[in-house]
Amino acid sequence: MDLFLMTIVTGIMVGSIYALVALGWVLIYKCSGVLNLAMGEMTLIGAYVSLSFYSMGVPFLLSLLFSLIIGFVLGILTERIFLDKLIGEPVLTVIMVTVGLSFFFKGIVELIWGTDTQVFTPPVFSIDPIHFGPLVIGRVYLWSFVAAIVLLAIFVSFFKYTRWGLAMQATADDEMAALSLGVSARFVYAMAWAIAFMAAGVGGTLLGNINGLNISVGYLGLLVLPAVVLGGLNSIPGAIVGGISIGILQNLCGAYLDRYFPGAVKEIAPFVFMVIFLFFRPHGLWGWERIERV
Amino acid sequence: MSTTWLPCGNYHQNYVEDHAWWQTKFIKGKMIFLALILFFVIPFFADSYILSVCNLIGYTILGALGVQLLIGFCGQITLGHAAFVAVGAYTSTLLILEFPWPKIILDLGLAYPISIIIAAFTAGIWSVLFGLPSARVKGFYLILTTMAAQFITVDLILTQYVSQIGGRGQAFSLPPGTIKLGPWVIDSDLKVYFMMLFLVILCTIVMANLLRSKVGRAWVAIRDNDISAEVMGINVFKYKLLAFFVAGSIGGIAGAFWISNLAAISPDHFPWFWSLWLVGVILIGGAGSIHGAIFGSLFMVLIMEGLQLAVMPLADTFPKLLMDFLFIKEAAFGLAICAFMIFEPNGIAYRWWQIKNYFNLWPFSY
Repeated sequence: MDLFLMTIVTGIMVGSIYALVALGWVLIYKCSGVLNLAMGEMTLIGAYVSLSFYSMGVPFLLSLLFSLIIGFVLGILTERIFLDKLIGEPVLTVIMVTVGLSFFFKGIVELIWGTDTQVFTPPVFSIDPIHFGPLVIGRVYLWSFVAAIVLLAIFVSFFKYTRWGLAMQATADDEMAALSLGVSARFVYAMAWAIAFMAAGVGGTLLGNINGLNISVGYLGLLVLPAVVLGGLNSIPGAIVGGISIGILQNLCGAYLDRYFPGAVKEIAPFVFMVIFLFFRPHGLWGWERIERV
Repeated sequence: MSTTWLPCGNYHQNYVEDHAWWQTKFIKGKMIFLALILFFVIPFFADSYILSVCNLIGYTILGALGVQLLIGFCGQITLGHAAFVAVGAYTSTLLILEFPWPKIILDLGLAYPISIIIAAFTAGIWSVLFGLPSARVKGFYLILTTMAAQFITVDLILTQYVSQIGGRGQAFSLPPGTIKLGPWVIDSDLKVYFMMLFLVILCTIVMANLLRSKVGRAWVAIRDNDISAEVMGINVFKYKLLAFFVAGSIGGIAGAFWISNLAAISPDHFPWFWSLWLVGVILIGGAGSIHGAIFGSLFMVLIMEGLQLAVMPLADTFPKLLMDFLFIKEAAFGLAICAFMIFEPNGIAYRWWQIKNYFNLWPFSY
């Protein structure tokens, strides 16, 4: 029973990081309709940037801030250079550009930082765990959870209360109406990419704190895809619920199924789950069901 | 895009002419010339390096043909084609290494050809299995299912279970002399080259013929609008699965062919990168034409080899560069895809078609 509870709690905490990255993904999709497959590499870039600053001796929070700023700039640049010219192109074209971007980013990351696993030295969070009654939780997980929740709250209130956030919501809801009310769609697209890049960067930094940082963190970033499919592609609450569910599912499978299917079950389980889920509810829990007309 | 404009004053007078493979004498001569180059000039004048590059091109073409069929002709976007190539390669390897063949078949050297056929069939069935969701989902969701196919097949089943057969652990080694095609032992680049040529030409002809039959027209109809296709009486699900089967089979042939070029086979030969690479190849070549798969393969492989040759001399001064070449290649591939999608979305095949027509209609192109 303790194992079960522990697994669930750890799952929720890791899942909250996925939720953060998934939020960025859904944001891009909602605002500009781009299905982004480069999310994993975006987490990588953010993570490596903050790691570099941290190993230069910058305090952790400050290096996180730097990575946010660089993520913001990179997001806007990416949108302006690559995605801006593709508005109105077929889905496959846009997806393949994001695939191309993911290769480009990955190649650059490997060129600059190499492929060896790097860790945050000295460790940001101390390794002795915290005891909550019967539960034993690693500090990294707890702090990641807190950070993810705080950032989720910041993002959600950004959409709800600020002018820019409202403009983004309006564009996501109805682009023509937003345009006619004077919202600049190009600005919104750029903002969406910037925010997604920032969210991915924070997610990557937190993931890198858990197990060390190498290229496979980019693979963890790919787990947002099952998460957003579960929640529905264009639903922000869906992204959060989906991310947390995927985290729980992954940990449960790691804890209970690893005996029967040794090896990669933890990485594969979300994708298997996603395929099965697609059979029953292709549009996710809260996504819009699109009705097609000829 | 598939048809060529005929020169001024040439008309088809009956259906036989209209359906002819090579519509003018010039095209026929051109194709014979190409065949001469492929069969006689390259094998006898090229050295081992050039032949190995040619083999890589052939392998890429075989893989890309299947992707071209799914994406370019049937509109089913797949990002997991390497899984089917891997299934073909593993089926063939396992059959050769583990299956108790009767002695007569071994003596005649038929084990490998038979295993290629079985590999094609297995890969096709495997592909249909992951094509089943296409009944319910399409577009982005289908991309996700095919991605899942890649991860489930290569990272789970092949790595964790199939590699354990025979207790070898990671890789299956193929000792020289295992792969026999009739009386010939496939052991040199030249022999692989001829096998590649045969398979590529065979698969291209099969594809081209399928595409100009009822099946091909049904696929194109599904690609253009699946609801309209259904309204017109096409059994959409059946034809989608058929597309997955044929694409998977060609992928299986590609995999089974490629083991003749390898000393050992492991799941690392079929990473997700390879799936995306194949999609990139057909998009650069041009989606929706067989030329596209061939031009894309030529372009990508030659560019990457050229890049490698350009990097080699620099390696003395910057030894790190050689190690990093893989990453440079990845980044270059990514940029190439982006650039093609943004500036030349129709691919090289479209440009080729325009050039051809320019000369066909010259000097009066109106």
